[in-house]
Amino acid sequence: MAYEALDFYDIDSLLTDEERMVRDMVRDWVDEKILPNIEKACHDGVFPDEWRVDLGEMGILGAPLEGYGCPGLSYIAYGLICQELERGDSGVRSFASVQGSLAMYPIWDFGSEEQKNHYLPKMTTGEWIGCFGLTEPDYGSNPGDMITRAEDKGDYYLLNGAKMWITNGTIADLAVVWAKLDGVIRGFIVEKDDPGFTAPEMTGKHSLKASVTSELVFQDCKIPKDRMLPHVKGLKGPFSCLNNARYGISWGAVGAAQSCFSSAREYALSRIQFDHPIASFQLVQNKLAWMLREITKAQLLAYHLGKKKDEGTWIPEHISLAKMNNVDIALDVARMARDIHGANGILDEYPVMRHMANLESVKTYEGTHDIHNLILGRYITGIQAFTRES
Amino acid sequence: MGIAVLLKQVPDTTAKISVSGDRVDETAVSKWSMSPYDEYALEAALQLKEAGGGDIVAITCGPIRATKMLTDAAAVGVDNLILIQDEGVTDSTHVQSLLAAAVKRSGSDVVLCGKQAADTNGGSTGPGVSHLIGAACVGMISEVYAEGDGFIALRASPTGNERVEVSRPCLFTFDKGATELRRPNVRGIMMAKKKQIETVTSDDLGVAIGTSSVSLQSHSPPPVKPPGQKFEGADSVPVVVAKLRDEANVI
Ligand SMILES: Cc1cc2nc3c(=O)[nH]c(=O)nc-3n(C[C@H](O)[C@H](O)[C@H](O)COP(=O)(O)OP(=O)(O)OC[C@H]3O[C@@H](n4cnc5c(N)ncnc54)[C@H](O)[C@@H]3O)c2cc1C
Repeated sequence: MAYEALDFYDIDSLLTDEERMVRDMVRDWVDEKILPNIEKACHDGVFPDEWRVDLGEMGILGAPLEGYGCPGLSYIAYGLICQELERGDSGVRSFASVQGSLAMYPIWDFGSEEQKNHYLPKMTTGEWIGCFGLTEPDYGSNPGDMITRAEDKGDYYLLNGAKMWITNGTIADLAVVWAKLDGVIRGFIVEKDDPGFTAPEMTGKHSLKASVTSELVFQDCKIPKDRMLPHVKGLKGPFSCLNNARYGISWGAVGAAQSCFSSAREYALSRIQFDHPIASFQLVQNKLAWMLREITKAQLLAYHLGKKKDEGTWIPEHISLAKMNNVDIALDVARMARDIHGANGILDEYPVMRHMANLESVKTYEGTHDIHNLILGRYITGIQAFTRES
Repeated sequence: MGIAVLLKQVPDTTAKISVSGDRVDETAVSKWSMSPYDEYALEAALQLKEAGGGDIVAITCGPIRATKMLTDAAAVGVDNLILIQDEGVTDSTHVQSLLAAAVKRSGSDVVLCGKQAADTNGGSTGPGVSHLIGAACVGMISEVYAEGDGFIALRASPTGNERVEVSRPCLFTFDKGATELRRPNVRGIMMAKKKQIETVTSDDLGVAIGTSSVSLQSHSPPPVKPPGQKFEGADSVPVVVAKLRDEANVI
């Protein structure tokens, strides 16, 4: 059966032809390449290299960036790409988010002309994979207190410290690493063969199993002077990247929820209990109606935010709301879908349990659910509640 | 070299088909796609172009919704797009004369199409068009490449593969090809967006559509499969054997 994405309010009619074609291209690719292979990739705990090649060939990495060989698509198109990738698996969307929004974006926005020309063309084709090192073992929600440090040694920088939970770390050709130079957070480009740099893979995940997660370890890691991003200082650097990635997640979560909804609907119609399809029982219909309602709201949120991104009228709090809400409802949709599938819901024959487990990570990374509540709380009251000081 | 590829938009092979009244309900078709054999023809056309140059024109005869398929073809590298408005034509000989007129007008001397469309499975378009334009027709091929002034086409035969040499003008109909259709990419999509689709009518092509010699009586869904039967325990073996022998005729 052809996948019919839930689109109750006909968001489709709001898209340009170009946006629809990009969406369909990615949708077809997910049908063809991800869905038949994702369970094995999760089981083996690998991100197949073929997917990197395909994503590069489709030309969707760094979607909304312009110049340096980048696609220059609208933010709506970028959102649709995330939606379709995450309909396949959050791990695949994570790969694209990290590459485009967390690794390419800081180079594109804060890099020197030489850095842009050197890295971006090879990153948009997928030839070089990037990762983003912000989180540390002891500093997650509170990255401002990071320990990783850079020292100016005259003709090179010396990096020391460790990052953790870094998506794509082990498979990356380069890492955009945030470290303190004289107490100020700066971005550095570290290449995989730089002396003193290692990126061991983290194992044992029950979530995002097809995505590579790593530590980045810097032990007297020497990098040339021209690898610092010249045009940004402080937390603004990493946070600008996160804004773009979080925006993509607000669409991605819709994709995961659509996948769970369509599986639940189909299952409910075909599963007979007490002589009737379970879809004919009011309690089950109530669940499906709730999913339809929340997914439709999430779609409108993502679409409108996309328009604001394209117009440049957004504020970070808009993104916090959409990331928080859409991941939250997607996780609830996944749990409800799992319930509707009964025992079958725990099998890898259906996508629901995988999405459910994945979305737990998505709820935590890119600002935890509650960190976004705190961002909105500060917006509403003018009082920051992240910490007790001041 | 002018290369023409004839494409038809059909309900996707995975889409559910429902019949309402005595016609397939087109509004209920969730996804329309390029007919799969036509995809192989298109891929072969792109490969001919890559090897020997020339412009590719994609021609379809169909309703407005088929423009999407033409734009998809442009996204993988087709140069010119022509939509012949079908004006409700159901007679395949009419479709053939419209397509033939458009091919002639385009000046193409090699034409590629699927061996049959996935909806009607008629299989008459290729041979019909080749007849009208006076081109040699090689049917059910899987591969074609240019050699000298003409082409070599490969097709499966009961005794192995046949290599058929043919000179221009010629028309090839495609069976499942050796390679899958390439995927579009963002660059192609952006180019495709700028491509104009030339829409023409039978008048523009100077084709007089007379009265139809065929008329479609009705569509009906395939009969519902009878439910499966279940047998349990060793006692049922004789019954199963009897059924397999007498009803299913498999032993
Ligand atoms: C699969 C995966 C991939 C990741 N990829 C990357 C990556 O590529 N790059 C990168 O830099 N990081 C990455 N991360 C890290 C991620 O961004 C962090 O996990 C996240 O920021 C939360 O940090 P933490 O895990 O240390 O949790 P903590 O910050 O310790 O939070 C634990 C809990 O405490 C709550 N909490 C914290 N502070 C407050 C407060 N002030 N008030 C109320 N509640 C609070 C949180 O909401 C949460 O519920 C990834 C994480 C995962 C799981």
